[in-house]
Amino acid sequence: MTGVLRRLRYWIDHARRSEALGEEMELHLAEKAAELEADGMTAERARAEARRRFGNVGMQQEESREIWMTRFWPELGQDVRYGFRTMIANKAFSALAVLLLALGIGANTAIYSLMESVLLRSLPVADPASLVVLNWHSQPPFNANKEWVHVMHGVQGLAWPGDKGTMVSGMFPYDAFETLCNENAAFSTLFGYFNGLKRNLVVRGQATIAGTEFVTGEYFRGLRVSPAAGRLIDSEDDRPGVAPVAVISFATSQNRFGGPQSAIGQPVLVDNVPFTVIGVAPPEFFGVDPAAAPDLYLPLHTNLLVDPAAAERMYGDGNFYWIEIMGRLRSGVSMAQAQAALAPRFHQWVATTASTDGERANLPALKLNPGAAGLGGLRRRYSKPLYMLLAMVALILAMACANIANLLLVRAAARGREMAIRLSLGAGRLRIVRQLLTESVMLASLGGAFGILFAIWGMRTLTLLLSHGQETFTLHAELNWNVLGVTAALSVVCGLLFGLAPAIQSTRPDVMPALKNGRGGGSHRRAQHVLVVAQIAMSFVILVAAGLFVRTLNNLHSVQLGYARENILLFSLDARHAGHRDPEIATLYADLRKRFESIPGVSSATLSQSSIINAARGWQAIRGQLKIGAATIEGASVMAAGPRFLTTMRIPILAGREIDDRDQPDSRPVAVISERLARTYFENENPLGRRITLPDEKRDLEIVGVSANLRYGGLKNEEESATTVFVAASQFSPDQVTYALHTAGDPLRYVNTVYEIVREADSRIPVRNVATQAAEIDRTISQEITFARLCTGFAILALLMACAGLYGTMSYNVERQVGEIGVRMALGAQRGAVVWMVLRRVLMLAAAGFAVSVPAALIASRLVKSFLFETRPNDPGTLVLASAILLSAAILAGYAPARRASRIDPLAALRHE
Amino acid sequence: MLILRTLSLRDLHGYGIVQFLQQSSDNELLVEEGSLYPALQRLELNGWIDGAWGVTSNNRRARIYKITAPGRKQLAVETRQYAKLTLAIARVMGAG
Repeated sequence: MTGVLRRLRYWIDHARRSEALGEEMELHLAEKAAELEADGMTAERARAEARRRFGNVGMQQEESREIWMTRFWPELGQDVRYGFRTMIANKAFSALAVLLLALGIGANTAIYSLMESVLLRSLPVADPASLVVLNWHSQPPFNANKEWVHVMHGVQGLAWPGDKGTMVSGMFPYDAFETLCNENAAFSTLFGYFNGLKRNLVVRGQATIAGTEFVTGEYFRGLRVSPAAGRLIDSEDDRPGVAPVAVISFATSQNRFGGPQSAIGQPVLVDNVPFTVIGVAPPEFFGVDPAAAPDLYLPLHTNLLVDPAAAERMYGDGNFYWIEIMGRLRSGVSMAQAQAALAPRFHQWVATTASTDGERANLPALKLNPGAAGLGGLRRRYSKPLYMLLAMVALILAMACANIANLLLVRAAARGREMAIRLSLGAGRLRIVRQLLTESVMLASLGGAFGILFAIWGMRTLTLLLSHGQETFTLHAELNWNVLGVTAALSVVCGLLFGLAPAIQSTRPDVMPALKNGRGGGSHRRAQHVLVVAQIAMSFVILVAAGLFVRTLNNLHSVQLGYARENILLFSLDARHAGHRDPEIATLYADLRKRFESIPGVSSATLSQSSIINAARGWQAIRGQLKIGAATIEGASVMAAGPRFLTTMRIPILAGREIDDRDQPDSRPVAVISERLARTYFENENPLGRRITLPDEKRDLEIVGVSANLRYGGLKNEEESATTVFVAASQFSPDQVTYALHTAGDPLRYVNTVYEIVREADSRIPVRNVATQAAEIDRTISQEITFARLCTGFAILALLMACAGLYGTMSYNVERQVGEIGVRMALGAQRGAVVWMVLRRVLMLAAAGFAVSVPAALIASRLVKSFLFETRPNDPGTLVLASAILLSAAILAGYAPARRASRIDPLAALRHE
Repeated sequence: MLILRTLSLRDLHGYGIVQFLQQSSDNELLVEEGSLYPALQRLELNGWIDGAWGVTSNNRRARIYKITAPGRKQLAVETRQYAKLTLAIARVMGAG
């Protein structure tokens, strides 16, 4: 230790010390000369003699200085320089190794960083660990007769499947929230909120769509969020009757008001209800659900103003579940204690809302969950796909490592001769090992550097792929440096391990055999073969996965829609939330349709409650039963459509007419039914002129036409038997409508014209969800598209890696067997036989790979079953195809070395021996 | 060992050490004089001697080296080892 300190002191002072040394030596020479002179020499001779006896002054100085310096730094410099020279000398090897590392490191970092931001990151609020989310769970609500028997009569929000077939939800009736609030010994605050979805926000006369969150007065206090400007909503604001106020997100304040300060006190219209902006949330705050990220926070009770019809049921009905609850635990109270305190109270309350024995038998039970990471929607949706991707990139990284190891093994063996020479010239073993280490680390750091670039690019692409164009997607993934470090370290360690073992071996004292023939040390062969087999096995698994996803995508794309996919532009308008009311709203929509239809290049325009692909969700035209005579229509989908819907969507009209301009709000209600419905209920009779009765609404519809069958709702809906009833949009008046324009050429070319027409009609109505029909359909299968693309990419990568590994191994083997092959050929072996000899080994390696990977692929494919569509996990076609691709790739990779082997000149080979 | 021994008797500068060694060995030990300096550096690095600016007998500025406590310990160790070695050699030679 003190040695190090002394050395340090020397370094700090080294200029003076080196001068002192010079002076000392000068003195020595002078004194010596003086002494010699005193003995009778001439001055000149004395000086020369002094110098002679002293030896080489410069060298002595150098040596003296060097004692203080460690040799570490200069030697490191040498190593790095030498490493660069070797890298440049072996361009192909270096490029390949760096590329493999970069891909492995980059892909893993990207996927894991994304996972971390989706699955693990905490809410950006103070002390997130003390937040809990309230959930409940019960048995599924359907009884044996598939009837709904549950205290939850209605729900606004989500319920999802939990463990062991239970149903889990985070929605509660308002009454339950109030009851739990009075029982809050365990909580410092308990607050509620619900997703207000998209609302029409008008700022200074400009309309846009804003995501809203209705929050109780305790919400911001409970989350311990402080405003970026103004103040946040408190309990005083959340009462019926007080002046409505709003808090806006930081981004909204910047986009719409030009900054947080200038937003305070500004009036805004939310769905035509005036609000005053009182504050701006901090920039990093995105609410409690990473998937939602509202632009607008409104006091809970203002929904009485914004949406009075819905609000009435929300506050009055103890069987209507809609409010989500979160709480902050008092310090010192554990989640289990809080659960023990709250669960009996909830049970007691919920029992009072049950009205039948069936409901009493299946009461929801309260369950507290950690709230640190916010709500789980995003996690539930993306965790499985992300885990799958992670597994896949982990395989890629493993392959990259195996490949690097393989390359290093080959190279270490090839450099055995170089090492032997260096050893025999007197290089220290440690020195050589260090040299090799330096080279490995250099490769790894270069790979890591490119890996970072690749990771950044990959993350952007992945976020884009996962968000599939949703405006609300707020996943701000950040590069995770920890992961980057770990993956980089992993590949370095792997490189070291496999580079070092042969390196140490090659520096063993016995250098003679290596020097003699340059082809000694065949002990790496088994390790190499294991690595190649592992790579083949891994790439097979990835190939099979890719095959399954591509097949799934093909199946989805070949689903018969029954309507046009191309050349259709879709966009939605919501006039009701901009202040339009019945009956004027129907006229507005009809006028707009006519104006859209008159755009040059638009052959027809129509409107409907939503796009066909999304029609199964959201607003329903008819909630009650439909009857034809005495028979109830089972499972028919009802679509509110405007004039020329069938024409625009290219759905054939088989009989009668489609809905057109004759169908006005005050005329006779009409319906067009699909062919299958007609066949089911009218068999061979003519359905035209017959009636569909709506007992709940006390009216009936006259059937005026029959359309061809179409696939209604999502592509995965296995509704081969789907039946559809089209009703006139003017007679059922949906809140928002989706227009569809059949265009000549690219539909997106007409978007600007559409914007202009809508602005002209009413600038308060925002145009939203602009998309082509094809994009709208693809959006519903974006996960499948993403998987198919990513997996294909991964599979190609894996295949290339396996081939590179195989090629490297075989080339090396051939090189080592030059002598043997030469002898064989000299003894009369044919070229074909030599090729076969090499290829046989390739095939054996491939066979070993298959033997390992087929069971693995079968097991792995079962894990991805839920992502597949009309594709069995052990799809034999995919397995055969994957094997064929892999086998041909392997033969291709093995053929080049085999050919080279067959070209060996026996004479040259033997002379070399 | 020889340098340590010299310095254990008296603090000296570089040339002084060479002179002393040559005189006390009756000029039997003739080494390349310059190689003294790397040796001195090595001893200093190990903390066995310590150098400081001083003045020689004929009033010239020079680095005067003195032995430190660890240096004395080291000298004792080396002397013992040397004694053992010479004894062993003497025995072998005697037996021969």
